[in-house]
Amino acid sequence: MMLVTLAFGAFARLIRTPRTWLALGVWFPLALAIAFFARDQDAAHPADHLLVDVVGAVILPLLVYLLVGAMLGAGSLAASASPYVALGARPAWATLAFVGVGATACCACGAALCGAVAALAHGAGDPPRAHDALVSAYVGGLGGAAYACWFACGAAFGRRGGGRPIALVLDWLLGAQDGTTALFTPRAHVRNLLGGAPPLHFPERASALALVGIVAVSILLSVRRVRPKR
Amino acid sequence: MISIQNVRARRPPLALASVSLEWGPGVHSIIGGREDGGALLLALLAGIALPRAGRVRVLGRSPALARKEVARIPLEPSLPDALRVDEMLGVASRLRSEAVRDPAERLAELGIQALEKRTVRSLSRGEARAVSLAEALTSTRVRVVLIEEPITWMDPRAAGLVAEALRAKARMDGAIVLTTASARDAHELATDHVVMDRGAIVSGPTFTDPRFSDLRRAQLVLVSPDEADARLLAAGLARDPAVTALTQEGVVVRVRGHDAVGVARAAASCAVKAGAEIVEMRWESDPSSDLRAAWTNAPAAIHPPPAQGGTEKIAVAPRTGSEPEPAS
Repeated sequence: MMLVTLAFGAFARLIRTPRTWLALGVWFPLALAIAFFARDQDAAHPADHLLVDVVGAVILPLLVYLLVGAMLGAGSLAASASPYVALGARPAWATLAFVGVGATACCACGAALCGAVAALAHGAGDPPRAHDALVSAYVGGLGGAAYACWFACGAAFGRRGGGRPIALVLDWLLGAQDGTTALFTPRAHVRNLLGGAPPLHFPERASALALVGIVAVSILLSVRRVRPKR
Repeated sequence: MISIQNVRARRPPLALASVSLEWGPGVHSIIGGREDGGALLLALLAGIALPRAGRVRVLGRSPALARKEVARIPLEPSLPDALRVDEMLGVASRLRSEAVRDPAERLAELGIQALEKRTVRSLSRGEARAVSLAEALTSTRVRVVLIEEPITWMDPRAAGLVAEALRAKARMDGAIVLTTASARDAHELATDHVVMDRGAIVSGPTFTDPRFSDLRRAQLVLVSPDEADARLLAAGLARDPAVTALTQEGVVVRVRGHDAVGVARAAASCAVKAGAEIVEMRWESDPSSDLRAAWTNAPAAIHPPPAQGGTEKIAVAPRTGSEPEPAS
């Protein structure tokens, strides 16, 4: 019951800020427009290329980054949770509610984004449209949740959540490689699941598990960071 | 209800040095600036900060376990900004595991029912503090209320009702701890007082008027009619535990102590015991202080003349045996 109450507060913060609707209003139409034009390019696998090179690499991380920023406002994760802690909630639960709501919302947005792009940009050489859209939605959802937890964890560092942009840069720099360091970022695994180059020849199933691992570790770190300090 | 034992804590720029206190139901004040450590003490009691050493107990438990029964109203209250005020009160009730009540009725306690449908984000600091205080005072679960500067930066509609609302909460077995830099606010709102200075308790807990007990930086100047009397006074005062420093120059004896009331009492007692006369008695206080000296329980009649400059003079007619009168 307490978690539901806390989730209501986090959800209200997410949907009642114009930043959320601005991010969705910019990135969704942009992705769909790119998908629409990619379909007309007469390439064999337009959906594959678009998902790996544009949506998975740029649009999904930026959209999730902005949604997490909208939910947390200008402050850190601890600052967002603090009003509920002041009203009697345990800090860990308040943090969990914020990260959970962020992950769920970004999971839904990621799934909708990737599924819609896959369906719209479907080309002759791509797998069947429905199957491709479903698989892409699954990857987008998993990637969206992993990115949300990754950025929320970043926001747990720094007085004003300054770790969140650092998390974005780290993902960009480390995830673009295919070495060992890429294993610790969502970007490399999302790329692998969307059909791009795998990090260290990881199979797709392992990348899916790695994203689940990133979710778990990020949540644990976030909860640990918001505990009262001596 | 609240126990603090040898607590040391640090949260830059605030720090506490070996603080011990016990508080039961009632309204208690901590007098001092924010940097003196009162705000940090409240954060410790709310479980927001942890002590480096020592033990903090609230309602017999660690503050983290008593969180639902503790409300803290800092200078910058932290409220769920995306919610409306009525929604916020509902969320607070659910988080505190108590029945949800009519928000307008709760806000009316401090005369701010007009804020019911406003979003928390749109509230001014004073309004947010008033809403936060109304939530704390009307909660059936909250038994400990920690508030920084209860009158300052408070919505004007609520400010006039704060004192009675705090007392009403205290009568319902609640413990209210307030921090304030204003001795006057402390005197009007609380029944006992602790004076903090740079992280340490320098006076209290005391049940005397804080306007009189907070003269720790002042020195008491006693003027005798002749040097012999001054020497008698100095000799007697030197043995008194309330006196920490003493000088005698001719007919003038200057006395310092941790507690102004204690020093004044020591001087009166010494004058009576030693049979020494005092023709003039005054506080030489810190010019920045608006505190006023007083003479309590003195075995002499007190006739305060008008204040002169930064000092306040109190003329004493010694050994009359009449009842003391309070200084105006």
